[in-house]
Parts: sequence; structure tokens; C-alpha cells
Amino acid sequence: MEQRVNDVGGLPGGPIRQEDHPVTMYQKRVDALYVLLSSPPISAFRVDSIRRSIESNTKEDYKNFGYYDKWIRAIRDQLIEQKILSEAEINARIEQIKGEMLKQPVSKG
Amino acid sequence: MSADNHDTDVTKTWSAGTPVRVKSQPPEFHCRTPHYLRGMVGEIIEVAGRFRDPSLLAFNKPGLPMRTLYRVRFKQVDVWPDYNGCPTDTVVADIYEHWLDLITEDQHEHA
Repeated sequence: MEQRVNDVGGLPGGPIRQEDHPVTMYQKRVDALYVLLSSPPISAFRVDSIRRSIESNTKEDYKNFGYYDKWIRAIRDQLIEQKILSEAEINARIEQIKGEMLKQPVSKG
Repeated sequence: MSADNHDTDVTKTWSAGTPVRVKSQPPEFHCRTPHYLRGMVGEIIEVAGRFRDPSLLAFNKPGLPMRTLYRVRFKQVDVWPDYNGCPTDTVVADIYEHWLDLITEDQHEHA
């Protein structure tokens, strides 16, 4: 009987880290991107589709990627699947931003 | 949640107290039925409503026909072979109708 990677209820999971941790700007941006893309008037995809993308990770990726890493990968997958952006367009934009960041040093702080 | 205009597949709704068994079928790509409950016998405690099918919504489809979602109660000792808590402990899960089979009286194990 097949078990999806996310379906871990009842399996040994080790101790739970209960301390609070700061939310990073990256995490906030991923969250904002998801809300904007999944809500009207854009409604590019549904939460169920995002969950399917997340749940389609390999066991290794599901374990190793962080929570919001899985979100942003699922958002990318859905944008491609819904033909809103192509993989080539996304990759080209990533390269462009990388180039811009190399040209001007980013102030840390 | 009330039925909507697309709700054409109205099946008989099971009432509270009905014994059911969770299907052991392979999961859909987006599946709301937990693995640890598959094949388990439980009891319906209430109807949560009728909703669009998440396993179809997951492919950005309309999710029709609508499915009845049941709140089903299981005994912890039935679910976990090594459960050493109180024998009356239960676990309640929301399970869609297409994941449940009715248990006839002769199949139902009486305690």
C-alpha cells in the first residue's frame, strides 16, 4: 500500500523543536508570493495544487528542503504547469538578477 | 457547507453511529486520507459537509462531483498495535465518502 512522502503520521519523528525562531525576509516573501498568486483576481492555482506539488517531491527532497523551500518550488512548478511562465523564462530572470547582484555589492544589515 | 448547483451526485448519507472501514486503495496524488488509517474500522460521528474533491482540485479541476466528508472515530488500540495509553482513547479524522466502505453487521467485529 503506497505511502506518500508527506504522509508521516504515526512514524517516529524524533523530538519536536518547540522554541520560537525568527521569520526571515525570504520566508515572508514566499508567503506573500503564494497569497498574491493564489487569491483573486490572479487565482493562478489552488492550495490543493500546491500541496500536490509539495507531495510529489522525492523522499530525499521532501526531507532535505525547508518548509518554504518546498513552497517556492511548488509555486514555480504550478506557474509552469498553468503555463503562466515557462521554465526558460524563470531561469532567464534568475540569471538576470544574479548578474545585477554581482554588479552592485549588496549592503549587509 | 450547503450543496451547490453543481451537486449532481447526491448519494445516500450515512448517519452517526454507522460502522465503516477505510479503504486500502493506493492514495491519489493529493490524498487527505492518512496512511495510518487505511483498512481501519471506525464509527461515523457526524457529517462535516459536502465539499469539492481535493484530489481533483489538486489538478486545478472543478473538483466535482462534490463529496460528503465524514468525521470518523477510531479506537487508538485498533490503530496502533503497541498503543499503551488508555484503552478508551480515540482518534477522530475527517474522511471523504470515496475512501469509506460500509460494514455489514456480520463483518463488524463486536467488542
